[in-house]
Amino acid sequence: MDTKKKLLMIDDDPDFVEPIMAILENAGYEVDAKYNPDEGFEALKSGSYDLLLLDVLMGRGAEGIMIARKIGDDEKLRETPILIITGMREQIAFLFPGQPVHPSFVPTDELIEKPVEPDLLLEKVSTLIKMAEERKAQSELN
Amino acid sequence: MEKRCKILIIDDEEIVLDSCLQILSGGDYEIRTAGNGILGVDLAEKFRPDVIFVDLKMPGISGFEVLEKIQEIDPTIVTIVITGFATIGSAVEAMQKGAFDFLPKPFTPDELRLITRRGIEKRKLVLETLALRREKELLREHFAAIVSHELKSPLAAVQQYLYSLSNELSDQLTEDQQHRFERIQTRIGDLMQLIHTWLRAITVDIESIKENFAPTSIPVVISKAVESVDPHAIRKDIAIRTAVQDDIFPVLGDEGTLVEAVVNIVGNAVKYSPAGSHVEITAKNFDDEVAITIEDDGIGISSDDLPFIFEDFYTSRSDKQIEKGSGVGLALTKRIIEAHGGNVSVESELGEGSTFELRFPALINQPIELSPINNEFMNKT
Repeated sequence: MDTKKKLLMIDDDPDFVEPIMAILENAGYEVDAKYNPDEGFEALKSGSYDLLLLDVLMGRGAEGIMIARKIGDDEKLRETPILIITGMREQIAFLFPGQPVHPSFVPTDELIEKPVEPDLLLEKVSTLIKMAEERKAQSELN
Repeated sequence: MEKRCKILIIDDEEIVLDSCLQILSGGDYEIRTAGNGILGVDLAEKFRPDVIFVDLKMPGISGFEVLEKIQEIDPTIVTIVITGFATIGSAVEAMQKGAFDFLPKPFTPDELRLITRRGIEKRKLVLETLALRREKELLREHFAAIVSHELKSPLAAVQQYLYSLSNELSDQLTEDQQHRFERIQTRIGDLMQLIHTWLRAITVDIESIKENFAPTSIPVVISKAVESVDPHAIRKDIAIRTAVQDDIFPVLGDEGTLVEAVVNIVGNAVKYSPAGSHVEITAKNFDDEVAITIEDDGIGISSDDLPFIFEDFYTSRSDKQIEKGSGVGLALTKRIIEAHGGNVSVESELGEGSTFELRFPALINQPIELSPINNEFMNKT
């Protein structure tokens, strides 16, 4: 990797942030972490990140989902690909009946379940970044 | 109950209403009266009493009709019928229809006070029972969330740390150490799977899947199930062979849970089969039914266990050697199959392998349209 890709992780559980960051940093990514949705959203707005790793069910209720929606509504932020990480696949389905896989918050997002195997994590991260870059190149062409 | 108890008396005789009011005025009650059935029902709706006295014999709508209407308004309201001696028979009839008790006329003040107290006690019990039942339902619903968070997430965190450690150490560990790492990860994975299965068995309302029933293709269900079990089978060097009749009928059902049902049975077949053996899945039309059989050369099921294997939380007692199941997989499977109007049967002998047969009503004369789900599946494979 010539320039290090910068990722932001928002998750309120440090015991997930630490090992996931370790895997990503080991693979050459630069990772910032925020432990609550508000700080995370601020960081996302002020920094320029290649990808967001978002815990979708933080704290009470589903603050992560609110954040994902806010990002989806923002012209600029919605271009950042999101890897949604959840501890509860089942509950995602309850929250979004009729959407068996997962809801699409932004043009490029995907959902994986905790715990995440390193190979799978790295594959998803690089695929999402690539997809977002292609999307960007495409829109610049048009 | 802190609130004052509310009593409604419906009787066409003014004198009865008056004397009841007098007698009960000493107690801590809020009392309303109505001179006929229509007014009574109206008040029952607005005033929401705890106990209602109803005279069976009134002009206009009868006491029986009033009782029925009260049942419709709120079945937890305790009703007591007031009746003359000549009409004891109808009092019994009223009680058969849900009245709590009857008060024969003429009655003494003590009789009225006593029956009122009993009626109110009854009402309290009814409400308490309802509250407890609701609480139980809530607990059941919340159980999913509680278990997910309190059990699953610490385990998932442990697993995540292990993943990251073995990722970092991958080039430094000896083969032996690597193996131990893998075992820890496997066991934690199994434990999480177990929690997941229990959660499903406890919280999923199987009946609700019927709302999403659609024509479902059996070959798709089987290939998805095989796809899910295959990694485990390959590790154990067990071959899963499938033979599906070409023109097999579709069924009306929910693809996701049907796949889950087949996965549970095929997964068991793999789990209880020796390495190097194979599991056979066949699917055929039988008249107006579709039959899926899953046959293995595994350890089989003893005749002691056989009658119980579809019960919740049952795991075999007779063997110690092999991995234990969660005890709910087959119970859940049976419920899924029955929700589809089908049934599941098993033939097995210890040491001789097992054959499970799933039967579903076929969806005949309705060639399955390739729905988006099927297309998506085809694209993926």
